[in-house]
Amino acid sequence: MALASVLSGDSADFSFDSSQSFAFGGGPGPRGLGLEGTPEDSLSFSVKNPLCVGDDDGVERKIEFLHGTTTLAFKFQHGVIVAVDSRATAGSYIASQTVKKVIEINPYLLGTMAGGAADCSFWERLLARQCRIYELRNKERISVAAASKLLANMVYQYKGMGLSMGTMVCGWDKRGPGLYYVDSEGNRVCGDLFAVGSGSMYAYGVMDSGVRHDLTVEEACELGRRAIYQATYRDAYSGGQVNLYHVHSEGWTRISQDDVLVLHHQYKDQAMG
Amino acid sequence: MALQDICNFQSVFEDRLTTEYPAVPHGKKIASNYVSGLPFSNNKSLFHFYIPVAEYLDESPIQFGQISTVQNCSAVSSEDPFLTSSSLPTCLPFASSQSVPLPFPMAHGTTTLAFMFQGGVMAAADTRSSCSGLVACPASQKILPIHSHLVGLTSGTSADCALWKRILARELRLYQLRHGRRLSTSGAAKLLSHMLHPFKGTELCVAATLCGWDGGEQKNFVDSTNAKVSLAKDERFSFSQQCSIRKKMNLSGPRLFYVCSDGTRLRGMLFSVGSGSPYAYSILDQGVHWGLTVDEAKSIAREAVYRATYRDAYSGNCVDMYHITSKGWTRRNREDLKEEYYREKERRKHEKTESLKI
Repeated sequence: MALASVLSGDSADFSFDSSQSFAFGGGPGPRGLGLEGTPEDSLSFSVKNPLCVGDDDGVERKIEFLHGTTTLAFKFQHGVIVAVDSRATAGSYIASQTVKKVIEINPYLLGTMAGGAADCSFWERLLARQCRIYELRNKERISVAAASKLLANMVYQYKGMGLSMGTMVCGWDKRGPGLYYVDSEGNRVCGDLFAVGSGSMYAYGVMDSGVRHDLTVEEACELGRRAIYQATYRDAYSGGQVNLYHVHSEGWTRISQDDVLVLHHQYKDQAMG
Repeated sequence: MALQDICNFQSVFEDRLTTEYPAVPHGKKIASNYVSGLPFSNNKSLFHFYIPVAEYLDESPIQFGQISTVQNCSAVSSEDPFLTSSSLPTCLPFASSQSVPLPFPMAHGTTTLAFMFQGGVMAAADTRSSCSGLVACPASQKILPIHSHLVGLTSGTSADCALWKRILARELRLYQLRHGRRLSTSGAAKLLSHMLHPFKGTELCVAATLCGWDGGEQKNFVDSTNAKVSLAKDERFSFSQQCSIRKKMNLSGPRLFYVCSDGTRLRGMLFSVGSGSPYAYSILDQGVHWGLTVDEAKSIAREAVYRATYRDAYSGNCVDMYHITSKGWTRRNREDLKEEYYREKERRKHEKTESLKI
């Protein structure tokens, strides 16, 4: 398929087999965080997933879960909070600390990116196009459920071909706040709280203990910020800045962008004083 | 003794009573003797090495912390006959450890955590033992007291942890009898780490966190507490700096070490081990600082274990908590987290209905 031929072959820089893949998917392999992280040869991070049969014909192996990032989203009474970090890694090299991992699909729908940067941005832009077409045809906004279904169906056709994408589609529609997790395996799950990426486990601890339905907007923003910060503190593949968005009945607003180091000093002072 | 029965130590005990004990080694000495005495390169020999426990104990008591250069040489030469000897009946523990794979390659299915604060060391762990998908025991003990002022949190294979904890306890007791004082936590960690080193590369899987209070009166500790507290506040995240400060200031006080069967031995102020550890780490990083009160520390430890059990499938059931102070360790009653889970569920439901009303 087009995507596969683009990814393999000459543009080796963007193939999953080579270490230069400019992705959010970093060093951590599918086997978990405890992995020592030294693959066979020093440059490649083509991970051998023990759970799936290795391909011999050069099509890249699946990079299951554990994409090198932390993104989270949770629902509460005033909508949905979306918080992401901004680090992109290529193996153990930090390629960028200022990546935008939230894609603004339309003024009331947001999509987060985890996994391969190319896959995420491409498919979510395609989704934006589909949503706009729907809006024009049906003279009403698309629901979050339908948008996530469109994305899941598009990506399902490429299942097994090496796409790597773990995204959360967040928005506000007739039914209220909506949050769906969609990934390149074909999963599409509705839920109240998700965290995706290698730092997701750290974020879950903080989020679970602080999330309540009746949070105020400021409290919810602070919770999202804190959760991402804790994840960047412990996870090597997350860092940079914390980008925070709030989705409410009128659409989404960008709340803040905080550098993790600044937050570190801020929380330390808070703990002392 | 039970330990003898497990490991067939009977014959070794008799031998040891007659041999002379060399001077008690410091950590470095042990290491050098280990390295020289053992055939590490040959995996096969290691395999036979530890299965026929009785024989190899006769030849190389190094495994269990004894130093004997004389017996060392004989050990090396007498290895070969073992290789050729027919396969001995495999001990049950090893057979089962090979057929039942660990849930994750390097993450042990548990959640244990420990941190230091002004009131001593707080240690907490869940109580679920899993066996690749089955909850083998919902009420196991992962925090094992080693002596009055030292507690070990275990993670990895339960069998390995229980055995090595008992071996460590025995060695520490022997040290105490010979020298009239308890071995420091640092020494105990070093001892454990050196005992485990010969098994590096095998399937032995032990990740222990040793929490203890080193001897000395509480008075000494309190005098330097103020200075330490202010220093700690400034440099909360630089462990190495704090370690050197502490060394200069006093030798007694709380200690926390992490020892792993792959050879890691780390000193620190906060550790969490196991598959549920990321969930616990984020809670602990948020809330732990030196100036916590004992009650605050208890509630943070409990919350961290609870959050880990909430998300991690291999952690669950109850939470055990131990608090180590200069007077020794005290144990809090085991608490079933199921209650907490239902309470939280009720609370969430309540919140939702409340907000819908509004």
